[in-house]
Amino acid sequence: MSASPVGLPQSSPPVAFLRTFFVGGVIAYRALFNWIRPSIYIPTMLGGPLFQILFFSYLGRFSGLRDDTFFVVGNAVQVCSMSSIYGATMTLANERYFGTLASLLATPANRAALFLGRTFPVIANGLFVSVFGFAVGAVFLDFDLAASALPSLAIVVLITVVSCTGFGMLLGAIGLRMRDVFFVSNLAYFVMLLFCGVNVPLEELPGWMQAIGRSLPLTHGIAAAREIASGGSLAGVSGLVRAEALVGAIYAAGAYGLFRFFETSSRRSASLENF
Amino acid sequence: MTVAHGLRVVRTGWLVSMKELTHSSFFVLVSILQPVIFATIAFFMVEAGGRSGTLLYTALGAGLMGIWSATLFGSGGLIQWERYQGTLELLVAAPAGLVFVLLGSTLATSSIGIYAIGATLLWGSIFFGVPLDVAHPLLFVIAIPVTILGLGLLGLVLATTFVLYRHANALSNLLEYPVWLVTGLLVPVSLLPGWVAPIGWFLAPTWGIKAIRTAALGGDPLPAIGATLALSALYLGLGAIAIKQFERLSRERATLALT
Amino acid sequence: MGESKLTHYILLLYREGVSVVEAESLRRVYRTTTGAVRRRPLEVEAVRGVSFAIGQGELFGLLGPNGAGKTTTIKMLITLLIPTSGRARVLGHDVVDDARVVRSKIGYVFGGDRGLYERLSAFDNLRYFAELYGVEGRLIRRRIAELLDLVGLTDREKERVEGYSRGMRQRLHIARGLLHDPPVVFLDEPTIGVDPVGARELRSTIASLTAAGKTVLLTTHYMFEADTLCDRIAVIARGEIVASGTPSDLKRIVADRTVVELEAYGVEERALEALRALPGVDSVAVEARDQMQVVSVQSAKGLELTQTLLAHLDGARVGRVSAREPTLEDAYVALVEDEAR
Repeated sequence: MSASPVGLPQSSPPVAFLRTFFVGGVIAYRALFNWIRPSIYIPTMLGGPLFQILFFSYLGRFSGLRDDTFFVVGNAVQVCSMSSIYGATMTLANERYFGTLASLLATPANRAALFLGRTFPVIANGLFVSVFGFAVGAVFLDFDLAASALPSLAIVVLITVVSCTGFGMLLGAIGLRMRDVFFVSNLAYFVMLLFCGVNVPLEELPGWMQAIGRSLPLTHGIAAAREIASGGSLAGVSGLVRAEALVGAIYAAGAYGLFRFFETSSRRSASLENF
Repeated sequence: MTVAHGLRVVRTGWLVSMKELTHSSFFVLVSILQPVIFATIAFFMVEAGGRSGTLLYTALGAGLMGIWSATLFGSGGLIQWERYQGTLELLVAAPAGLVFVLLGSTLATSSIGIYAIGATLLWGSIFFGVPLDVAHPLLFVIAIPVTILGLGLLGLVLATTFVLYRHANALSNLLEYPVWLVTGLLVPVSLLPGWVAPIGWFLAPTWGIKAIRTAALGGDPLPAIGATLALSALYLGLGAIAIKQFERLSRERATLALT
Repeated sequence: MGESKLTHYILLLYREGVSVVEAESLRRVYRTTTGAVRRRPLEVEAVRGVSFAIGQGELFGLLGPNGAGKTTTIKMLITLLIPTSGRARVLGHDVVDDARVVRSKIGYVFGGDRGLYERLSAFDNLRYFAELYGVEGRLIRRRIAELLDLVGLTDREKERVEGYSRGMRQRLHIARGLLHDPPVVFLDEPTIGVDPVGARELRSTIASLTAAGKTVLLTTHYMFEADTLCDRIAVIARGEIVASGTPSDLKRIVADRTVVELEAYGVEERALEALRALPGVDSVAVEARDQMQVVSVQSAKGLELTQTLLAHLDGARVGRVSAREPTLEDAYVALVEDEAR
């Protein structure tokens, strides 16, 4: 152990940022994501979505509303929420559960790197679940996708997953203060099944519900994905994709802002229940 | 241990569990919000899809979906909670007999499902014009508690599995949609591949929803009511046998996951 | 309310030199609510004007009962709380204005079961924080190995923390606080709840920190820990420093006293109050040990109080009675009870 007043050599700020982002992001994800073990991951992250897609597709057949493709695309995109909502909530709110916030905030780590680093495993996981969802539709239901449409679909789905993750991180940030935030996450998951055009075409909903749907993630992305699946081009859905990206960016900014706000307010304020 | 004592244990367990469950946010979510939201999705779908005359059918189906969710997550959750608190060992060792202790709790989880049916019917009638005229009122009123009993006892079988296998809880997530499908709560089983229907015959919700639907929409509910009661007895037997096995195993091996 | 003469004198001394940690009239007010039916806002002054200075290589102890303001003070120094008024500096950097620099130069260790990622191994917990402290990539592995060896966790490093005992967690907290080899280390009740053997090992680790030239601030409510480890101690009670100095300085406060210790069974509060009211008695402290109570009565030397005390403890059964020299603990009790009156 040295007695030097400057301590061990530290990486330069850009390097430290990147290391906090990538290495730190993955380690934090392993620490905080509850369903990481295969015995839980497979039934929860894969099994659940599989049967959700089957359920709504068959319900769709019963109602005579639309064809399988409609429901497969809607639900396959939506199931990214298993990671983008639940997973995102966990990667922030669980810090409170483990009591690690104080140690975290006592470090000089760049807060943006800390926050953003956690999102990329969430996004990767969400993308994986969505891809799995599409595969389920292709294998078990009447869903066929032209190979040429795959790249465009992949881009649309990626942007949608990122956008949904922004929303999920907002819930996670709320979970830093709110005790039972998973109640809100669960509620958000069901509400999005109704409002985002996943199973009910947006035009069939009353105006006020459409407005809510358009202010949530997934809605524009799902609409774009459906157009691509029925032969549309990426250029044709650029408006929808931009809208989805904008919605997600607003939620993500709100999430980071709330995260920083909670940090400053707990240093400055007010209540005794700090960390 | 006399049956009278056993029934008292059941009653106490039921009351305590009901109190605990109705005060949790889980209850509000699973018994009221989730069924109502799923019912709403289904209402929009059948209306927009042009399938007329299915509103009451849909409302009842969504309500029963709620009873199943409450039972499923409630029974698993109760066991996990006891295990986490360290009281599972005490329950197993209790002189009252684990089957009676569990029975009260699992019946409570399906009982809170009554809120689910009430909520979907109320919501449906207010916002979607679901007609609330019931073909056989008396049998309808009987069919509901019978269904709750059947689901509660199926919950008992589930709970004993959760006691035996520590990670069985992860499977609860996997049993929600499949049971909804296989028992034909919302989607008629005729739309599914042929091999699905026989699986449903052994599950209480299949007969429960048949009983409730025929009582409401017309038909003869009695066979379905009878089948639900018969399955209930079967589940009780299975649960009791499983628990006896378990008590024997835990005394022999002392390695079962009680903590 | 001014600082005590002693504190002021010491601060003056240290301002001439190079203080590593300086606290100047730190105040911290919490706003909370009171009342069960109608919640009214209440202001709690947890720290009311704390000042001290720590020199390079010193092991400084902040000693006080629970709720005295030790944790609040430390949290202000490590930038987790902003003082309501007053200032603090670590290595010359203001804790509010230069928070990031301060964070990169201090280590923070706290007691308790929480504060670690249960699902990860000790190694991964340390790896994560090494990244957060910006330790250079190529040095991380070696540094972690060094620290695990220092705290004796090398053979358990790959196990998940959820299986660790309290003592092991504590050792891991210490390793975590030293990852970036900070020149200043803050330890908040590090041995609380740890078994005696483990606590002894922890204390020797703490002593080795200053031996290696680090500056350490330690909060504790264990008297003997402060006595054996600290170069200087500040006693804090009800948000204020009531005395400060070396352990011998503090013992001198009670040098002219004697302590009579009685082992008793079933002493009631009334009897204790009566003892306190006796002329010549400075303080009465009670410690519960299993079924027995140890009553320590401080008074000026020379007063033969034993018979009077026994007379007043008539209702209870009294075992051994002994008279002894006051320890640091007695000094502490005297200071804290004084503050209370």
